[in-house]
Amino acid sequence: MYKSFPYLLLPAYWSSRNRARGSDRSDRVRAWVFGGVGMLVFAALFWGSFWLTTQLTAYEELGDFLLRIGLSWLFLTFLSFLAFSGVVSSLSTFFLSEDLKFLLAAPIAIRRLFYARFVKTVLQSSWMVAVFLLPVLLGVGIARCAPCMFYVTALLTVAPFCVIPVALGTGTTLLLVNVFPARRARDILMLMGLVFAGSIVLLLRFIKPERLLRVESLPDVTGFFATLQSPITAMLPSFWAGETLFASLAGGRDLLHAGALWTTAAACTVMLSAASERWYFAGFSKSQEARKARFTKLRSLDRLALALPIGVVRRTLLIKDLKVFLRDVTQWSQLLLLLALVMVYLYNFRVLDLDRIPYMAGMIKNFYAFLNLGLAGFVMATISARFVFPGVSSEGAAFWIIRTSPISLRDFLWSKFWIGLVPVLMLSLTLTILANEFLGVDPFLKVVTGVAIAFMSLALVGLATGMGARYPRFGADNATQVAGSPGGVAFMIAAVSYILVMVVLLGWPSSVYLFRMSRIHVRPFQIQEIALIATCFVSAVALSVSVFVYGMRTGVQALKELG
Amino acid sequence: MISIQDLRKQYGQFTAVDGISLEVQPGQIHGFLGPNGAGKTTSIRMIAGLLKPTSGRIVVNGHDLATNPEGAKASLGFIPDRPYIYEKLTAGEFLRFHAGLYGIDGSGVDQRVREMLDLFELGRWEHELVESFSHGMKQRLVMCAAFLHRPQAVLVDEPMVGLDPRGAKLIKSVFKRMSEHGVAILMSTHTLEVAQEMCDHISIILKGRIIARGTVDELRELAGSEHEELTPVFLKLTGGSALQELDEIV
Repeated sequence: MYKSFPYLLLPAYWSSRNRARGSDRSDRVRAWVFGGVGMLVFAALFWGSFWLTTQLTAYEELGDFLLRIGLSWLFLTFLSFLAFSGVVSSLSTFFLSEDLKFLLAAPIAIRRLFYARFVKTVLQSSWMVAVFLLPVLLGVGIARCAPCMFYVTALLTVAPFCVIPVALGTGTTLLLVNVFPARRARDILMLMGLVFAGSIVLLLRFIKPERLLRVESLPDVTGFFATLQSPITAMLPSFWAGETLFASLAGGRDLLHAGALWTTAAACTVMLSAASERWYFAGFSKSQEARKARFTKLRSLDRLALALPIGVVRRTLLIKDLKVFLRDVTQWSQLLLLLALVMVYLYNFRVLDLDRIPYMAGMIKNFYAFLNLGLAGFVMATISARFVFPGVSSEGAAFWIIRTSPISLRDFLWSKFWIGLVPVLMLSLTLTILANEFLGVDPFLKVVTGVAIAFMSLALVGLATGMGARYPRFGADNATQVAGSPGGVAFMIAAVSYILVMVVLLGWPSSVYLFRMSRIHVRPFQIQEIALIATCFVSAVALSVSVFVYGMRTGVQALKELG
Repeated sequence: MISIQDLRKQYGQFTAVDGISLEVQPGQIHGFLGPNGAGKTTSIRMIAGLLKPTSGRIVVNGHDLATNPEGAKASLGFIPDRPYIYEKLTAGEFLRFHAGLYGIDGSGVDQRVREMLDLFELGRWEHELVESFSHGMKQRLVMCAAFLHRPQAVLVDEPMVGLDPRGAKLIKSVFKRMSEHGVAILMSTHTLEVAQEMCDHISIILKGRIIARGTVDELRELAGSEHEELTPVFLKLTGGSALQELDEIV
């Protein structure tokens, strides 16, 4: 008698249980750190939704209207997120997962395998949405003194709501894999993700939320709400979910929309199951065949590297790293996404209308310059954690090639450093110089922040390279896993601490200087003041150089001591 | 019994397996030999139900793999060349899960699991995580799983990779014993000594086609070789004469 489909989920459950039993100290520290951050986010979301709902309650009918729109918009956002997440997760759970070769050799009916994998896909795709919705809906419910039934309804609404888009995403994957080889389908999906993220950014810019802050644009508020309401149609599950929850907030029941949610979820699942029985094995078989991926030869890279005044070893390492990076769509598509976000960040500085506050404009601009320095530092730290820190680990099982070659490990680590430094430095300088230009900050600050960001790039990239060598994860599946390892978290903590110290070391003397210079009668600086200001600047430079040297030295040492 | 008729597999324009047919009778160990890229693993994966054939028919113990895949797989044991095992499960958990997949339930499971672990000398590792196993131990654990449900036919892809001499000897005796009990074994291997020692019949595959088949003696005759060893026979049949030019290249 063959077991029913939940039996196929047992390995995942047993593995998690064994992982929890065998967790060591670093795992527990990581769990506490992430748990703590998670609780903070949970509290912030709860407080935010509670505060907003309380504010809206004061506006009676308008408040109700806005809350209704808000709920539908919340679900509409999740609808697209879940559909995309479903496409990506199902590609892995249904086609690329290693254990499929073991399971498909066993006498398991495709339908049983489908249900087990679909449950896994829904859970993988929607856990984040559920975790986000929990504090938000709790906040809304408590603010509106909702009855207990609201929370039960929320549970019964979110479950089918998650199933529908994930089923659509899984169906899309089934179609894609039958058309393209799975490994190319993954590349296509990554690009789709980029387009998806880009369109969200464009949508937000299209709505221009900053308009609401301008008194003179008040007559446009009706138009703004019309924009908000336009994508919401009665045909979408997000609308059904929003309506069901809104009705239960006041103690009512909207069985029509709740019924629409459940019947659509059931229909999607049954249809997908039937489609899987028909096309799944053909798609899986195709995904096994597609070992050869299409790739670009990147010959111009060879020519460019030849022109660089570097030795043959460093040149070879440089070409190898760049080709591996550029041929992996998952890597550079994330970088493109990050660049898109940076563009939006800069654009926001451009549209910031600080001159509306005449007396404060100068001070606020200079304050923003330092805020930007901190944020640019944070962007650098994130990029370093995601792209530079995994540099050594990315060698993976092929690291033996480096270790058995006549290459000094110092040369190897330095090649990782240069590959990281050039793009990080270019990006951070662009970010700082352009933001300062858009803000129109004092020329003195332009020079200070420009020089500071160069030193910060040096320190952060050096630290990331070195710590990446000290805490390598050669067995990791991808760079994101390396960045999220205890070593990656330790790097982020060290990097953020360093950035904060730098902002303080540069912010205090700069503010003293600007304050003096802003007075009508400029008083000359006393020798002690100049000494203190110089000490701060020199300390900032010394700190940056020390962080860089410490990072690289300990990194080389760690590589030499690798067993 | 494993029966393959006119099996073909095409990847675009490339034909990996080009109309092979063979039969492995109960109690027979059939060696599947060929150079790298000849189509051995592709054929094995099609018989295991992991790849869809372009055309042809596969019947395992009377069950057609295309029309009754569950029936065919239920009576088949599969030992892949690079086994995947859930790293965070213990050996015992993995085997119990495997037993469940094949519909084996009840109190007999624990005893059968211990039997198999003892047979493959993994008894004291029953409660250890798979991630702590060496490659050879993982290979032996996969063999435990393959024989756990008492299959009537077994597919083996490169069984000796990563095994120490003691492990290899153990596996050879297990396979011999299983075949004596009527299990049909189709084994792909590079190790010609293993094939010579264990196989009743051998098929040599080259560029997706079976170019020779028979017992070792029959193959020797076919190749017109007087050597006792299988290696020169294999090289002669698969065009290994290029090896003779090595001296010139070196």
